[in-house]
Amino acid sequence: MTTLSQISKSVQRHPFHLVDPSPWPFVASLCAFSCAIGGVMYMHAYVNGSFILSISFFCLLLVMFTWWRDVIRESTFEGHHTGIVQQGLRFGVILFIISEILFFFAFFWAFFHSSLAPTIEIGSIWPPKGINVLNPWEIPFLNTLILLLSGCTVTWCHHSLVSNLRNQSVLSLFLTIVLAIVFTTFQAYEYSMADFRLSDGIYGSTFYMATGFHGFHVLVGTISLAVCLIRLLQYQLTQQHHFGFESAAWYWHFVDVVWLFLFVSIYWWGGS
Amino acid sequence: MSEVTIQVRTAPRDRRFPTTNQTKHCWARYLEFHACSKVKGDDDPECEKFKRWYLSLCPEEWVENWDTLKEEGRFPGPE
Repeated sequence: MTTLSQISKSVQRHPFHLVDPSPWPFVASLCAFSCAIGGVMYMHAYVNGSFILSISFFCLLLVMFTWWRDVIRESTFEGHHTGIVQQGLRFGVILFIISEILFFFAFFWAFFHSSLAPTIEIGSIWPPKGINVLNPWEIPFLNTLILLLSGCTVTWCHHSLVSNLRNQSVLSLFLTIVLAIVFTTFQAYEYSMADFRLSDGIYGSTFYMATGFHGFHVLVGTISLAVCLIRLLQYQLTQQHHFGFESAAWYWHFVDVVWLFLFVSIYWWGGS
Repeated sequence: MSEVTIQVRTAPRDRRFPTTNQTKHCWARYLEFHACSKVKGDDDPECEKFKRWYLSLCPEEWVENWDTLKEEGRFPGPE
């Protein structure tokens, strides 16, 4: 007969999910380290630098896939993500997004440092002489509307999920991903057609570092939304429990807000 | 032997540039001279005043560099 004291001894006395031993954190750190080595080699024109960087980055993607696959197994299929565990995950994702905000803060700092008091070497004016800036009211404004609309569709998806409207949730999430891909396509087109490049002085540097990293975050956000769509189609997201989707949606809103700041500061104010 | 009085002076203080770093002051006077001479000609006394000021404030190398850039049409400031 199982006594109450036996049961209470076997129940964990903390709100955390302690995972089974996993090699992925260590493997991920190895891949990240070799990405750093490859990156530095590439940037200093060492032979095989780009090869090492590509291989390491590919391995990093594999580790991400495998680690998150394990998280899905632990949560959806083994049931370890109780309410309180989810609260911990929510806190973690919020802290991660705050760290990303600080990351972009640095690039905006660099932009405003250079543009608010332009040096005499560029004629004390911004944009510097010779830079043909992009018209903010053409593709950049369209991209702003696209991202705002995608923010609406992802919210629509959340509401549909909560209301158990499966068809609408699939449609709205699909539309969100389509809008994200359209945004990326337009940005790639603008990048190809722009008169200035990353190496074109301080304007090129600040513009492409800020918008380039934003584009990378759009890519990451698009992939995570696509994973959510696959999981949604496979009935892994339920009416009550869909934190993977919620974190992807939060990330997507963050990407949208960063774009709004980029549009107002760099495209609109910085181009006039 | 008559006494010779040497007057040593530089550009007057400009409240637009209150800090120790007078780079922008030098730049401003250089631009002002060229804007003035464009309207009034190089020899006008008012323009000559700006010229003395920028020659005093600015390092020689900068002035030579800017003059060269102007000749080549690559000067980053206003036309």
